[in-house]
Amino acid sequence: MARMKFYCDAERCIECNACVTACKNEHEIPVGVNRRRVVTIKDGEPGERSLSVACMHCSDAPCAAVCPVDCFEITDEGIVLHNKDTCIGCGYCFYACPFGAPQFPTDGAFSSRGKMDKCTFCAGGPEEEDMSPAEYTKYGTNRIAEGKLPICAEMCSTHALLAGDANVVADVYRDRVVNRGAAAFSQTRLQQKANFRPNPSLSGRATGGSVQQWTPDSSN
Amino acid sequence: MRILWLSLLLLLTFPAVSHAAGPSVIQQDPGAELWNAVRARAQEDSDPGQVRSQVKGIESTSLVNIGGEEWRHFRMGQLIPTAAKVLGFTIIAILLFRLIRGKIPIKAGRSTQKIKRFTTFQRYVHWITAILFVALGITGAVLLFGRFIIIPYLGPEIGGPLTLLMKRIHDYAGPAFAIALVVLTFTFMKGNFFKWIDFKWVFKGGGLLGGHAPAGRYNAGEKGWYWMAVLVGIVVVASGLVLDFTFILDYTDFGRTRDNITFAHWVHSISAVGIMAASLGHIYMGTIAMEGAFEVMQTGECDANWAKEHHDLWYEELVEQGVVVPVEELAPVADDASENDSGTEQVKAVS
Repeated sequence: MARMKFYCDAERCIECNACVTACKNEHEIPVGVNRRRVVTIKDGEPGERSLSVACMHCSDAPCAAVCPVDCFEITDEGIVLHNKDTCIGCGYCFYACPFGAPQFPTDGAFSSRGKMDKCTFCAGGPEEEDMSPAEYTKYGTNRIAEGKLPICAEMCSTHALLAGDANVVADVYRDRVVNRGAAAFSQTRLQQKANFRPNPSLSGRATGGSVQQWTPDSSN
Repeated sequence: MRILWLSLLLLLTFPAVSHAAGPSVIQQDPGAELWNAVRARAQEDSDPGQVRSQVKGIESTSLVNIGGEEWRHFRMGQLIPTAAKVLGFTIIAILLFRLIRGKIPIKAGRSTQKIKRFTTFQRYVHWITAILFVALGITGAVLLFGRFIIIPYLGPEIGGPLTLLMKRIHDYAGPAFAIALVVLTFTFMKGNFFKWIDFKWVFKGGGLLGGHAPAGRYNAGEKGWYWMAVLVGIVVVASGLVLDFTFILDYTDFGRTRDNITFAHWVHSISAVGIMAASLGHIYMGTIAMEGAFEVMQTGECDANWAKEHHDLWYEELVEQGVVVPVEELAPVADDASENDSGTEQVKAVS
């Protein structure tokens, strides 16, 4: 049995917010509710990185632990599903969630927030009947039942967002990391070769950021 | 054995390989800095730079909420077990007290004279506050323990909507209770300030375990309950209003963050469990613990003998003012007079 996981590759995410838009469109999510969001760190500075984040479908999900009505169900595939019929809209799952994934309509009076809404990994709800109109109204499309993966990852233009079996996702990401290391390594070697003779500043260590360029003038 | 050989081979070839690759390269993990920034956001004295998100919402720019796990452990590991113990032991203590002490009677029997103790307005204020308090207490307990009691026994199909109803009652009764509590505070403030005689009452255990402790209009137990209801009640109400209307935090310096909301929940739950435990004592003492107590808040009038036995200083004060005729000077009621013989009275008490 596959263990479903999301992974966002920060080296690839370009903050296009297409995953957010695709998710809202696919599931017809009301205004103000965002099951997925893109966060940019060091925006406009060197080292800027973006990450797309939604429910990470925790193994030991804090939302399921604190729920006063025990309305969360973790499927065999590790997808954390939420039952909107049982939900009381208390907001405890949002307080406990590390990723801020559970969402509420914010315009209710007396904090009657309505039913919580969260990423379903495109697996609908815990309803018995898959792909039923009732399920669509409450939770959106059930792409998993159709044999598809989540829309956000499927349409990611840079393939930054990975979704699917944790082992496959891990393999893809591991290959990327290895290739990136090899690329950085070969780049250093190329720079060494381009200098025609060993550069003393490179012996022992070399980092990607501060490789001193050898110029003919400095040696004379 | 094969694995051993392989590992030996690897050990031997490793330095050669690394040497052949030229000078060793220390390549910083490109993700390390990023994840440091993600986690450091929740720590003080660190600047991760500008963090932005197109999605606007409560802390939508925070990637990892560290406080959530703390709150989870507080709620599931500390609050619920401790609250169950505190309320459970209070109920057990009241049951034990009942078994040991039994119902406390009016020793001299009922007199023919009633003394006005509470005005109609005071009684209405008391009962409105009391009904709201009990409603809030029951619904709050459902939110706290419902997962372990209601959901397993009634199932999520019934338990969910039932808990939702309880939550709605809790949300709407809360602000009403806030108003009732303010009115109650001023209505019952007179006579509830501590006096030196109250320490004597406390040292004598309030006469709970026998003996007599002198008391004025209110005894130290009632005064303590009043001040607890007012002071702890203000804390419960304030934190509850924050939880009810979280947008209040937007207008403060604190901001509407999950840490601040869970802090309000922390204050609200601890103080509410405390006041609920104390209220159990008050409810027991006011209803079935002693003869002639419930009717005081029911009708506003108390029996003169009850006043003499439980609030002797207040009774004497009223006698001095001439408002109340001393019970000794009252003409005994015909029914009481025939049974006034000490022998029959004792037999009745035993049986």
